[in-house]
Amino acid sequence: MNPIRILLADDHTVMRNGLRLLLERQPNLTVVGEASDGREAVRAAEAVSPDVVVMDIAMPNLNGIEAARQITSARPETAIVILSMHSDESYVIRALKAGARAYLLKDSAEGDLIAAIHAITEGKSFFSPAISRILVEDYMRQLEQRHVEDTYELLTAREREILQLLAEGKSNKEAAAMLNLSTYTVETHRTHILQKLNLHNVPELILYAVRKGIIA
Amino acid sequence: MLPAEPAAKSRTRLVLLAGFGGLLALMAVGGFDAIQVLRQIQTRNVQIRQAFLTRDRALEHIRASLYLSGTVVRDYLLDPEPAGAAEQLRQLQRLKSEMATSMDAYAASLSTGEAEPVHALRTGLAEYWTVLQPVLRWSPQERREHGYDFVQRQLLPRRATVLALADKIAALNEQELNGGDERLEETFGRFRRRLLLMLAATLSCGLLLAAVAASHILRLERQSAARYRQVVHAQSELKDLSARLVQAQEEERRAISRELHDEVGQSLSALLMELGNLAAVAPRDLEPLQRHLESIRKLAESSVQVARNMSLLLRPSMLDDFGLVPALEWQAREISKRSGIAVSVDADELSDDLPDDHNTCVYRVVQEALHNCVRHAQARSVRIGVRQQKGRIVLSIQDDGKGFESLRVRGLGLVGMEERVHHLGGAFEVKSEPGHGTLLTVELPVNHSHESDTHPASR
Repeated sequence: MNPIRILLADDHTVMRNGLRLLLERQPNLTVVGEASDGREAVRAAEAVSPDVVVMDIAMPNLNGIEAARQITSARPETAIVILSMHSDESYVIRALKAGARAYLLKDSAEGDLIAAIHAITEGKSFFSPAISRILVEDYMRQLEQRHVEDTYELLTAREREILQLLAEGKSNKEAAAMLNLSTYTVETHRTHILQKLNLHNVPELILYAVRKGIIA
Repeated sequence: MLPAEPAAKSRTRLVLLAGFGGLLALMAVGGFDAIQVLRQIQTRNVQIRQAFLTRDRALEHIRASLYLSGTVVRDYLLDPEPAGAAEQLRQLQRLKSEMATSMDAYAASLSTGEAEPVHALRTGLAEYWTVLQPVLRWSPQERREHGYDFVQRQLLPRRATVLALADKIAALNEQELNGGDERLEETFGRFRRRLLLMLAATLSCGLLLAAVAASHILRLERQSAARYRQVVHAQSELKDLSARLVQAQEEERRAISRELHDEVGQSLSALLMELGNLAAVAPRDLEPLQRHLESIRKLAESSVQVARNMSLLLRPSMLDDFGLVPALEWQAREISKRSGIAVSVDADELSDDLPDDHNTCVYRVVQEALHNCVRHAQARSVRIGVRQQKGRIVLSIQDDGKGFESLRVRGLGLVGMEERVHHLGGAFEVKSEPGHGTLLTVELPVNHSHESDTHPASR
């Protein structure tokens, strides 16, 4: 099996060096390039075609979220792990909307990064446990304080199944294949799910799934 | 300019008091004097007329008595009836004494020019009676013989002489009356002149006083206008200064927040990373080393947490990275987490290029308001609304707390918010009543160029 090719984008040299050390210790991971700002990261992604980009948000010239957007629009097969100091959901949702599928805090355990890289190369999402915890707690508190009806209860069993698959990063087609349904049926379910939960797109759906603890 | 000294103030008061007091005194004295003089003139007039009448009457009396005496003497001489003679003599005696009385009365109120003619009259009268004296002792025989002759030659001429004297005195008396009138006229004229003088003095005094007072008032007005301008200037300078201070503080916060987040936080994260690497290469069986590494790791982790929190509290990075609404939503979540108050944010899509000052202003107002809700209001829920309308941003913050008397109470926090809003030319309003929560509304005008940039289609 070919090792997973990784591009590191962070403006802190110490951080990059540490990350490289950490990742290269793993048998099936290899760091193929480094970038010290967003613009450089976009160029490097073009040049070295990495499987995964591990990217900071706060970078000079072009921030990580914009860089992620440009990279995924140019090369949709590139998986992006955001590795940031920011723990607020406004950063998480924007990173997801920009195409990132994993969001880690820089102070999370090293093991999380390895796990995240493996998860997203398998098409799954991954969040730092700290991030998941914050999102879930906020959601629970909102339910409690505003006495809002838990919209999850509105979903049918089949819809819940599909919600989980989609939140894990499966495409409509993959989900359909796994459930022995037609793609069209899955698409209809997806529309219903988004309507019932008052969501607008897949990133929001992923965030919702994290808040509900459906995915980690 | 220094404030007017108390001494100067009291001096002005003294001058004004003296001026107005003097004027009033002058008017009072003038009026009193005028009344006095008028009364004198009137009294004098009455006196003159009375004196004239008294003397005129006395003179008339003398003349009438003289005529009568002449008639009585003639009757006495020409009517030899002895029975009537005694009666006629008695009558003559009475007339004589009456004339003497009138003469004395007249002499009592004698004026200077009359002394000689009055003396002549008195002498004339005395002579008249002296001439009559022997005749009164005449026998009826003698009266018959010489009576007619005496009447014609002695009595009538003498009487005519005395009457002429009386006429002269009457003319003099008339003259005296006229003289008195003239003197009165003169006195009156003098009085009129004095009154005019007094009036002129009062008038000029009043004018002078009015001029002094007017100039003083004008000076005060100028001074107060100058002072007002100074105050306004100082106020605007103060506002400017406080706005600059607020701006400087915001800049400082932004810089420190960034530094904490990007430098301190990142370095600590790198440190954590390196710790992980160190732990990986360190011998597994060296238990104390691993323990120390773990405790360093815990320290570093909590330091990252502290740096992140401090950075967010100073100025949330979302405000600069994503704009106002994400920052408000973060703030709402933070307050909910810390205090248990349900905070909801209901916001329009705001244009991305709202001026930084506006974002900061709205954010800080919301922060302060939520702070108040937590500290004072005992609110259970807060609703934050942000709307972008044509040319302005409208912010509303409604809580269900205990409220306060917004018309009377205005804490430092509210004043600070209001100042921020006013500095951007916005309107700030607080509506609250005890027991009915608080509604805070802010309207900020947005420079038109910003809006037209974001809504090119709407034009």
